[in-house]
Parts: sequence; structure tokens; C-alpha cells
Amino acid sequence: MGTLLEVKDLRTEFHTQDGIVHAVNGVSFHVDEGETLGLVGESGCGKSVSMLSVMRLIPMPPGKIASGSVLFQGRDLVKVDDEEIRSVRGNKIAMVFQDPMTSLNPVLTINTQISEALELHLGMTKEQARKRAVELLKMVGIPEAEGRIDDYPHQFSGGMRQRVMIAMALSCSPQLLIADEPTTALDVTIQAQITDIVKRLKRELGMAIIWITHDLGVIAGLADRINVMYAGFVIESASNKELFANPLHPYTLGLLGSIPRLDEAHKAKLTPIEGLPPDLIEMPKGCPFHDRCAYRTDKCANENPALELGAVRHQVACWNWQDVQKLRATIKR
Amino acid sequence: MTQTRSPAGIDLPHRARSPQRRVVGRLLRNPPALIGLGVVAAMILCAIFAPQLAPYAYDAQDLSIARQAPSPAHWFGTDDLGRDMLSRIIWGARSAVFVIVMVMIVNLGLGVPLGAAAGYFGGWVETVVMRAADILFAFPGLLFVFFIAATIKPAILTWAREAGWRDLANSGYLDYAVVIIALGVIGWAGLARMVRAQVLAVKEREYVIGAQAIGVPTWKIIARHILPNALAPVIVALSMGLGDIALSEGYLSFLGIGLQPPAPSWGNILSDNAGRYWRMFPQMIWMVWIPGLILAAVVFAFNFLGDGLNEALNPELVD
Repeated sequence: MGTLLEVKDLRTEFHTQDGIVHAVNGVSFHVDEGETLGLVGESGCGKSVSMLSVMRLIPMPPGKIASGSVLFQGRDLVKVDDEEIRSVRGNKIAMVFQDPMTSLNPVLTINTQISEALELHLGMTKEQARKRAVELLKMVGIPEAEGRIDDYPHQFSGGMRQRVMIAMALSCSPQLLIADEPTTALDVTIQAQITDIVKRLKRELGMAIIWITHDLGVIAGLADRINVMYAGFVIESASNKELFANPLHPYTLGLLGSIPRLDEAHKAKLTPIEGLPPDLIEMPKGCPFHDRCAYRTDKCANENPALELGAVRHQVACWNWQDVQKLRATIKR
Repeated sequence: MTQTRSPAGIDLPHRARSPQRRVVGRLLRNPPALIGLGVVAAMILCAIFAPQLAPYAYDAQDLSIARQAPSPAHWFGTDDLGRDMLSRIIWGARSAVFVIVMVMIVNLGLGVPLGAAAGYFGGWVETVVMRAADILFAFPGLLFVFFIAATIKPAILTWAREAGWRDLANSGYLDYAVVIIALGVIGWAGLARMVRAQVLAVKEREYVIGAQAIGVPTWKIIARHILPNALAPVIVALSMGLGDIALSEGYLSFLGIGLQPPAPSWGNILSDNAGRYWRMFPQMIWMVWIPGLILAAVVFAFNFLGDGLNEALNPELVD
């Protein structure tokens, strides 16, 4: 399968009164056609900003894509003109947002909102768009779609609105769907429904997905490959199974240690990661994680490690990943 | 806002109620707003049907019946030239409504696009628009209107005479144009400020980013996704402002730089009656009280209506 999206050395910063916020610091990754890439990390680590940069939806000013390229179907989306990026948005690359309660326009009917992209990108007439919108609503499992298409967003529940958002995003059959924490604002049963719908539609439509989340449980059931982000860097990248079986970065280990597990004894304590993420205005010189890291050495404070191959199809940005691996092996024994 | 939600997967019988219909419903359950609406509706009807409603022509003089008290033949009495006051007041409503509508169009036409552009684009667009608005605000409004009215009228007159358009130069249309331009040019600034503030708030909402994410062109994002969600306070301010426009037209005409007699305006009816005759004949209270009370009632009505709209559009503010 070919590469659909290739992001190289992407840097996004925000120029604020307090200084320059380095939100994304030279991120490189790729997405293959039909692949699901998970993007995990805690709040403020640059997951959403890197994806908004791909779509060029960063408010400018104060935001700025300082360097890097976003290659999509042979075009660099950072460099194309506004007209061209608009023809990509919603058409080739679509996005679903976190909070379905605020992502729909309260004064427009569901029909108007779904039809908008269809009329814009596929040149449909109002009648054609309406018919297609009904089909899309059925596809995402909204009962009595014909009767509900002229309803307003406030007449839908949160889970139903997220289905509408998915229907909107998929309206033009995009090759890439960026889902920015689409289940975070929903309760657990609805989360499961939404992930099931996305999995089914991915099978049916064959698009690639970038799924942003901080919920490792959700991503474990969805992704082919997972990128872990921290302070605007990708610090570990591996296939789904490999990452959970053989985490190499101390931060990933910390993330995995801080989720409760059903298959462990009741009294097992959760281990939080000590400290706070670094200030993105005054980035530390060395590894951004070093002052929270149990495995740190002097080198960590001074030099920032780049991503390197740690195992088959498994990259990690850590000076001491071999020590981490050994230590983990001894604990297991 | 109270909302009924159907749980996922279960179909409840429901009725699609648009936000607009809910607003109208709430407005009609508010007595002061209804009174305001009634007065405004009466004024608009008078304006539309002035030729049918007025018992006499607004400029029909009969000096033999000058300064008569209200009677069955002349309900509101007559003025110093024997013109029927009721007829002049009904025709005055037409002048007032015409001026209000035109000034509102000018205010909206300038204030909404300029404010929206300032809020959405920021940068130099915002600087230019907002500083222009600041300049208008820094001037005393009345003085500025005088200045415009006093300077543009002679200029247009000269131009019309030179161009050979005698009709324009001699007719009362020019007075309307002067009033409308003067009030229109100063009135947009407040609207633009308000629209800008609203757009700033709305443009960060997720559904706007969502619209950008499906590639909607910028003008359509502003017109379709931002403005409808930003207009509620603008509608309120506007409906309150309409009373001010009526009053402004009144005082411009009262001071003699607005509509000139015989064109009927509540302001020049007041000034004619008050200035020349009321001091000599203080017992003729109807000459001043009737047009004055009507003007006051209209201003109150617009304010009641504005308050009602405010409550209808922002129901969470009331409780």
C-alpha cells in the first residue's frame, strides 16, 4: 500500500504576548492508504495542533507553521494556495471534532450542514444533496433519517450528534479521516458505539484514519500503528501490538502504568507520572521528558534524542531505551 | 434553555421547532413587548395608509380655522395655518418610518459588514474600522449630525443646480437625504463594535472550525455560520436604536436642519407650534402635547420591544 500522507519536520508555533509557544517541534510521520494511525499523548502535547496544521486550520496569527512539509497526494499542503487547500478540506481530508455538543451550528438544520460539503465539493443540487444526506444518516445508524434530517442540533443527543458529525465528515468519501478525540466527550457505552461505527465504515469505505486520543484503551482496539507524542515531539512510534507488548520510552511506560486494568489484582496501585510537562514557551535544552524520567542520565538534560529504530518497525526517541528494556525484563522475571 | 432530547435509538414524536419560532413564541408571551409591538405596528400602518387614513391633506391650509382646539371635525385640533393636526401627525408617521427604515438600512449596511470583517480578519482591517468608529464616538453625536447636515446640504444643492436638476434642488427629497445620510453615517459605529465583539466570540466556536474543515469559503463562513449566531444582541440594540433614530429625526427637524415644512414631521410640528405660538397662547396645550406624547410613545414602544426581544433571544438572562 502506498503512502497517503507524509509529514516531515513539521513545526508549529504560536506567537503570544508571553513568548513563542512551541506547540509542535519537528514532527515527522506518515499514514499509509487505508491505515489507522493512533496519536496518543496528554493534553497540550501537540496532538490536535499537529493535525490542525496538516489541514492548515491553525488560526494565523497568532499561529504559524514555522517549517516542514505535509505531502498529500504529491502536493505540499503547507505551500498550496487557499483555494486549493479548501478543495482538499472536507473533500479529501475530513475531520471529526471532540465535542459534538459544540461542533454543530445551532441555527442550521442537520440537512443544511451535511449538504454543505456535498454542494461545495461534489457540485450536487439541493435535492441530490438531501437524498445523499439521508443515506449518510442511515449509514451512521440514525433511525428514521428522513424524519430527522430537518431537525436542529439541539434535538439530538450527544451520541447522535457525533454520528451526524461522522456523517458530515464522510459525506465526500475522503481518503483520510482525522478524528480529534471523537469519543472523549461521550459516555462509555456511546464511545463503544461510535468506535464500532467508525470501524465498520472504515471496512466499507477503506479510508485511512488518524485517531487522536489520550485513551489508550480506545486506541488499542482501533489502530494499526500508534505514535506517542510528548511536548510537541513524537517520542515513540510502533505497531499497535508492539507498543503495548514492548514499550521502550519511559513516558509510554508511565502512560501504561497509569491506567487501571481489569485483569490485575484489586490492590495493584496505579503509578502516576511525577511532575508536569515542560513549559512550551521555554523548552528544556535536552529531552523534554528528562526531569520527570526515572531513567535519566546527564546526557538527557543536555541533548534531545532523535527518533531511532529500537526494534522491528518500532522507533523511539530516548538515549537509554536499551536500559529501559533490560530493566523491564528483570522486573518481569 | 430547556430542551427535550430523545435518547439514542428511541424515536419520540417530535416537532421541528426552529430557533426563530421559539423566539417569536417567547416574545408574544411578554406583555410590555406586545404593547411595544402594537404601537410600532400602528405607526407602520399609519405610514403605509397615510393617504387613506388622514382626513385632510397634510398641507391643506385654512386660516379661518387656525389654532382650533380638538373637535369632532379636527380630533387633534389645528395649527397656526389651520392645517389639521391629526392629518399632519399621520403623515408625520410616514416620514418617521421612512427615515427609520432608511437609516437602519444604512447603519446595517455599513455596521454589519465592517464589524464582521474587523472581527474575522483582525489585523489592519480591524485597526482601520475600529479607529474610524472611535473617531465617531469621540465626537458628540448631535454635533456631528449638525456638522454633516449643515455641510452636505449646501454642497448637494450647488451640485444639483449646476447639474440642472431643479426638481431635486427645490424639493423636500433633499431634506430626507440629509437626515438619512447624517444619521446613517454616525449610527453604524456602535453596530460595528457590537458585531465585531460577537464575531470574535463566535469565530472560535468548534462549528466554525468545523465549517473551515469542510472547505467552506470565507465569505460563506461569515455569512452563514458566524453572523446568524452573532446577531441576537445586534437585533436587540437595533430595535432600541430605532426609537433613537425617530427621536433624532425629531430633534433635527425641531432645530430646523431636518425636514422642512410643509413636509410633515413630528419634530417640525413641535417646533412650529412650540416656537411661534405656544408662548403666546399657553392654553393651547394640545399643540405641543399631542405630537410630543406621540413621539415619546414611539420611543418607549421601541424600547419595550427591544427589552422583549432581549429576553426572547437570551432566555437564560431572565431567570
